[in-house]
Parts: sequence; structure tokens; C-alpha cells
Amino acid sequence: MKRKSLFLLLLIVFTVTATGALVSAQGTKVFTMFWGEPLPDYPGSTIVGDIIERETGVKLQREGLVGDLETKVGLMIASGDLPDMLIAAHFTSLFKDAGMLIPLNDLVEKHAPNIKRLYAKHWEQLKQEDGNVYWLPIQAIPYGPDESKYPELGFFINKKVLKEAGWPVIKTLDQYFDLIENYMKKHPRINGEKTIGYLTLFDSWRNFATTNVPQHLLGYPNEGEFVPVLENGKYVVRQYHTSHAAKVYYQKLNEMYNKGVVDKETFVMNYDQYIEKISSGRVLGTFNQYWQVQEAQEVLLRDDPESILVPFPVVLDELIEEYQRDIPYIQATQGMSITTACKDPVGAIKFLDYIIREETQHLIQWGVKGEHYEVDENGLFYRTEEQKKLFLDPDWRRDVFGGPYFYNSFPSLRGIDQNGNSFMPDRQPNLIYSDSQPTEKEVMDAYGIKAFSELYNKPVDKKYYPLWTITIPAGSPAHIEQTRMKDILNAYVPKMVMSKTNNFEKVWNEYVKAISPLMKEQIKVYQEQIDWRMENW
Amino acid sequence: MKTPVMLDVEIEARKKPFWATLMKQKVLLLMSVPFVIHTIIFKYVPIWGWTLAFQSYWPGKSFFEQVWVGFDNFRWLFRDPVFYQVLRNTLAMSIIQLVFGMVSSIILALIINEVRWTFFKKSAQTISYLPHFISWVVAANLVRDALSTDGGIVNEILMKLHIIKEPIMFLGIPELFWWIIGATHVWKEVGWGAIIYLAAIAAVDPNLYEAATIDGAGRLRRIWHITLPSIRPIIVILLVMNMGYLLSSGFEQQYLLQNGRVIDYARVFTIYELDYGIKMMRYSFATAVGIFRSVVSLVLVFGTNYLAKRMGQERLI
Repeated sequence: MKRKSLFLLLLIVFTVTATGALVSAQGTKVFTMFWGEPLPDYPGSTIVGDIIERETGVKLQREGLVGDLETKVGLMIASGDLPDMLIAAHFTSLFKDAGMLIPLNDLVEKHAPNIKRLYAKHWEQLKQEDGNVYWLPIQAIPYGPDESKYPELGFFINKKVLKEAGWPVIKTLDQYFDLIENYMKKHPRINGEKTIGYLTLFDSWRNFATTNVPQHLLGYPNEGEFVPVLENGKYVVRQYHTSHAAKVYYQKLNEMYNKGVVDKETFVMNYDQYIEKISSGRVLGTFNQYWQVQEAQEVLLRDDPESILVPFPVVLDELIEEYQRDIPYIQATQGMSITTACKDPVGAIKFLDYIIREETQHLIQWGVKGEHYEVDENGLFYRTEEQKKLFLDPDWRRDVFGGPYFYNSFPSLRGIDQNGNSFMPDRQPNLIYSDSQPTEKEVMDAYGIKAFSELYNKPVDKKYYPLWTITIPAGSPAHIEQTRMKDILNAYVPKMVMSKTNNFEKVWNEYVKAISPLMKEQIKVYQEQIDWRMENW
Repeated sequence: MKTPVMLDVEIEARKKPFWATLMKQKVLLLMSVPFVIHTIIFKYVPIWGWTLAFQSYWPGKSFFEQVWVGFDNFRWLFRDPVFYQVLRNTLAMSIIQLVFGMVSSIILALIINEVRWTFFKKSAQTISYLPHFISWVVAANLVRDALSTDGGIVNEILMKLHIIKEPIMFLGIPELFWWIIGATHVWKEVGWGAIIYLAAIAAVDPNLYEAATIDGAGRLRRIWHITLPSIRPIIVILLVMNMGYLLSSGFEQQYLLQNGRVIDYARVFTIYELDYGIKMMRYSFATAVGIFRSVVSLVLVFGTNYLAKRMGQERLI
């Protein structure tokens, strides 16, 4: 890959010397770009790509990610060998720290009216300590947020359980586990195999699917490791790992583990095994963020539609009002940036400005009007059955249509546009229900909803949201503390759940003693950043 | 004035055979030059990077802009309670792997050598060394499935044989983790390790066996008194070489088989460097750990070598 980029560099140097500028004979500009995602090489010509190239005269020389992003970023910074534009997930800020990115404020002001207009709502959030903006986050929400069929997270429960129990609305943890336990007693085997009552994912970094739960049981959305709580008009960062909710939650899991409801090997299985078990249709319940179970849900929809997962916003006590859904936010701490190596920053920002405008976004996400989507009499977009079928094929979508090559990592638009269309086809409001599968519709009808996310309350706005996009400085005391805290969670959570019931209290006390001193530094960093956000956003 | 002249003559006299030998072996020397250069570039030049351990290294800055911190990184390392846990785990798993790996390979080589039916011999050898070529990513999933409580073959067999009543969650028992690592290592590497011993056994003079047979030695006696002593130099050399890897062995296997429940017994140096070093951009700290490992490895290699020498055995250096 290194050699390839060197080759590309040489190629560009040749183009430069041959033409005297970054403009070749046909007026094509060439920009090099690195993105922190493992996408295959650009096929050279795609439907979307060709239109973009024709309209802008810009050709991109891309370098995708091979191997580990952390290592790649370290190498790029150490060698100083930079492309014109780059995005490297949450490591983007390291390039700024190394003085390798150029501020975008003036460029946007002078040359990019669309970026200025569409990012206006987020602009203050993007400013760094020095008042400059160095990157454009991959998603901007210029107008209103949109809806999705599934909520971001939930206690998922097998449709069979709900159906047999007569479609109850699940509110509390006890209620949730009672339903599962009862069903399990009646049906000890499903499809000839042992029924699995509850699974909790604990595979390496994905273990937040287990350890994040206490905050949700208290009604909070996904904030991360800590939760800012509004006290006396100010957000105070609090920990929940030793809270009452955590104790009740782990105790419940312990009880269920000893009853055989929680799968015996839930703490030793890896992500593949987790997906495999859920896909088999014999798992009755699991907590997770939807994107982590989506793969299994898609298999179930195809092979075992009666066993699909239905999410519920489960809380500790029926008096708790839940706000577990995400408040639409942008990832302000990462994005597309222009480096000091770029010879033509004006050209680069003009290109990004072209990418972000509504027309181009419709092209990238929906396609060509009349060919990939239609417009009804109300101005709403939809796709015919044939068009839908085309887009169901991921290979066609990527290599022939080409949208994904200008979408992931690039600045893009999300939410509802001024005409009521969603920028994302699968979130088009008028189509969520009608495009659902029969088995999904059966559940939605039973609960009188048009999307599963309607089982949840609408989120309340919080200016700083969410806490987890705050990056703790690499190698700082808070960072070391964080790693140690995660070690404790790693070691003690399985221990607590798997201990004998009369032993739980002892292990819990040990855990509290071990984890309590490992949160001070992190809270300090988060508090500072939350305060800063409240003041500056 | 005489003395220097005398010396010059002496030096001249000493030099002569050296140059003569040099000329005689020039082809051999020329052949080794590329390897020497390779070693210098890839093994000696990187030692310069050890300077990182004494800095608070931050990428993107030049060497002169880095902040120097002396022995801070080492101090941090030796004060970290996790370090001692990691040291214990690495040593324990390495020794288990070394002992069981070598013993099983030697036994396999001896057994295969005694087999007279060539077809069986060849296929047994092939089957036993095939797992070596499976990546740990795949092998770890096989192991996980085999040890699963949810229909894993090991638990199924033990239950069918009525040895256990309830399936045992092998991968969830911390004290068992080292032995699982040892056992899976033996499974994966036993055949591969045996190849070198088989080669050594093949080189043993058949006359020795004939003489022993005439003297009335049976199979076991021949193995004990001829085969084993004949391959002893190989065993000792391999042992000395492997000692150098005691602290650097193991990454994928532990990384892929570990889980939260057994982390206290599973974390080895390489994982420690990754978690507490590279992943946190603490390159300096990771380098310090690397230096510690290198120094200990050097001591171990020289120590074993010295012992081998003292015991009158074959040695490496």
C-alpha cells in the first residue's frame, strides 16, 4: 500500500511538472485522499462517480484503509507523508495536534456557500480551542431529524414470546425477565435445540452491550461510560457503574444465570457466536444497540420471520420516564479535513462544497431521478419494486451505482429536507411502514405503531449530547485510568453474574472497592469538556 | 627503537595466517555479506528506536523536539501491579508451551520413526502437522466451538461417557486458561515440531542400531540408548534458542481465546503492550516494555547457554 501511494505521488508529481499546475490538459484536477475505512479500490467508473467527475472536473486518487487505522495514522504522522484530504475517524484530531491540517474558516467563508449554509447549525460545535474549524463531520443535519424503523438500542425480545403473551408492553426489567422465564418453562426446546433465555454480549470492545445498561435502566440514552445529570441548572458528570441500578441489574442477571435463563457461555462467546445464536431463532432476549444485532435480525427476517427481535425501552422501575433514544447529533470531533500538503485548498473546498449540496446528496443517496427513484404528486421520493431490487444488491450498489464511494467518510446530509424527503432512502417517512416485511407489520399493528422506534419516547434536547464523542487525550492519566477501569469491568462483571447467588453481595462489594478509585480523572476531563460544550455550542 | 620494530614483525607474523585464511574463504565471506548487511539494517539500526523509551514520544515531532523523561517509563512499568501479573502469565504459558511442546514433539518423532509401514507413517506425519498451517483466527474459533457448553464436542463426549453431569465452561475458568493454551499449542504445533527431530533421527548411523540389536537390545532400549542420545545436541540447541522467546511468545492465541472472565490469567506481554501502549499512543511506554523483554531474553539465552556448557552439552554460542 505504501508503495502504491508512493507510486500515486510520483504520478501526481509527473502530472504537475507536465502541465505546470494541478490541472491537466482536459482541465481535470487530481486530489489525493485518505479515508479510514477499508473500502476496495474505486472501480474507475461508476454511475454516480462519472456524473461527479463530469460536473466538477475533479478526479480523486483514493487510499482506503488496509490493516489497523491506529497504526496507519501513527505512520502517516511520523513520516509526514500526507494526501491532500484525509479523514481518520476519531484519530483525525491527532493530525491537527501535529499541525498538519489547515483551518477551513476563511476558505468556507469565501468559496463554499453550501457548506456555510448546511453546516451553519453545527458551526460553533466544530470550532476547536483556537477558534478554527479543521474538519467537516461526515453528517450534517441541516433541517429536521428523520425517523428510523428501529430505535438505536433496546432490550430485544423474540416475537414468539410477545405473541404468546398477547402483545404486552414491556416496561420494567422484572416484567421483561418474567416473560422470558415463563416462555422458557413452556418451551424448553426450539427447533430441536435448547432454548436460550437471555444473551448478553461481552466480546472485547463490544462489551459495552453489557456494561452500558445501568444508565439505560435509569432512562438515559447512550452517553458512554458516564452520564451528565442536570443539577441546579448545570450538567454534573456522574458515574453509574456502582449505582443502585447497576446492582439491581447485575443481581438480576446473577439470579437469571443461576436459574439457567442467561446462557451459560454468554461471557466467553465472541461476536460471531453471538450473531449465530440469535440467528438460530432460539434466543428469547438480549440487550444491545441495534447495529450490533442488525445482521442477525436480517437473517431472521429471511429465514425465521416469527423469531424476529422486537425492542423495548426497559427501565428499572415503572416510575422512571425513559429518554433512551438518541438526540440527533453530529460527530463533531472527527471529519473530512484538508492537509498542509494540499497545493490547491480552494479547489478542494469547492469540491467538498459541491458534494454537500442537496442535489449531489440526492444523487449519491437516492440516485438519478426517473432511473433510480420516482417522485409522486406531493414531491415525495419513492422507488418502484424493480428499483428497490437493484438497491438490495450491495455489490451493484457499490461497484456499478457507486454511491458508497462518495458517501462513507465524505461530508453528507442526514434528516428530512425542505420538501419532507429523507436524505436516506431507508428512512423515507412515508415508506418505513409500507416497506416493512409482513412479520414486522404484524407486530407494529398489534402495538398500533408505524415504526418500532415509536415504542419509545421522543428524546429531549441536550446541548452537549452525547458525552461519548469527547476524546480523552491519548496517554493521559485519565486515559490510563479508563483502561484500568475497563479491566475491572472485564474481570468483575462476569464474576458477579456467574457467582453463586448467596455470594453475590461479597463479589459486588469487592467490585465496588476495585472500581471506585478509577473514575476521578475521567470525570474531571469529561466535566471540563461538557462545561466547554455548554458554553460554546 | 628496537621494540616497536619487533612488534611490527610480530604483528606481521600474526597477520599473515589471518589474511591467508581470509583469502582462502573469500567466496564464503562474500556469500555472507548480504546477510550481515540485512542483519545490521533490520536488527541493529532499529535499536536506535530504543531512545523512544526515554522520551515522552509524540509522533510528528522531530527527534530534537521530543521531551526527554529519563527512566520514567520504566519506573511506571515496575510500579504497575498489572506488570507482575503479565510477567507471571507470560512465563507460565511459555514454559508450559515449551515443555509440553518439546516433549510431545520428541515423543511423536520417536513413535513415527518406529513405524515401519511407510504409508501410515507419511499420512500420520502429514495429519499431525497440518494444523500448523491454520491461522489462529480460524483455529481459535474451532477451539471455542469444541469447548462450548452449547453442544461443544468435548463436553458432549464427557457427558456421554458419564464423566461429568453438567457441561463445563472450560474457557470461563481462569485457572484452566494456561492449560488450554498449552493443550491447543500442542495440538497445533506437535507435528511441525517433530519434523526437525525426525530429520535428526534419520541422520543416526544405522550401524549403531545393528550393533545394539546384536547385543540384544529391544526397541525401547534402542530408543533410550541410541536415538535419544543421538538427537540430544538438537534438543539442547532448540531449547537454548526457545529460551530467547520465553517473554515474547504468544499473541494471537491468547488474544483470540481470552475473554473478560479469564483476563487476569490471559494477558501476556504483547497484549499488555498493545492495550497499555500502542492503543493509547504511549509509544514510549511500549518501547520500554520491549526493552525489558529484550534484556531478559538475552539473559535467559546466555544463562541457558552457560548451563549447557557447564553440563558439557552442545551449545549455541
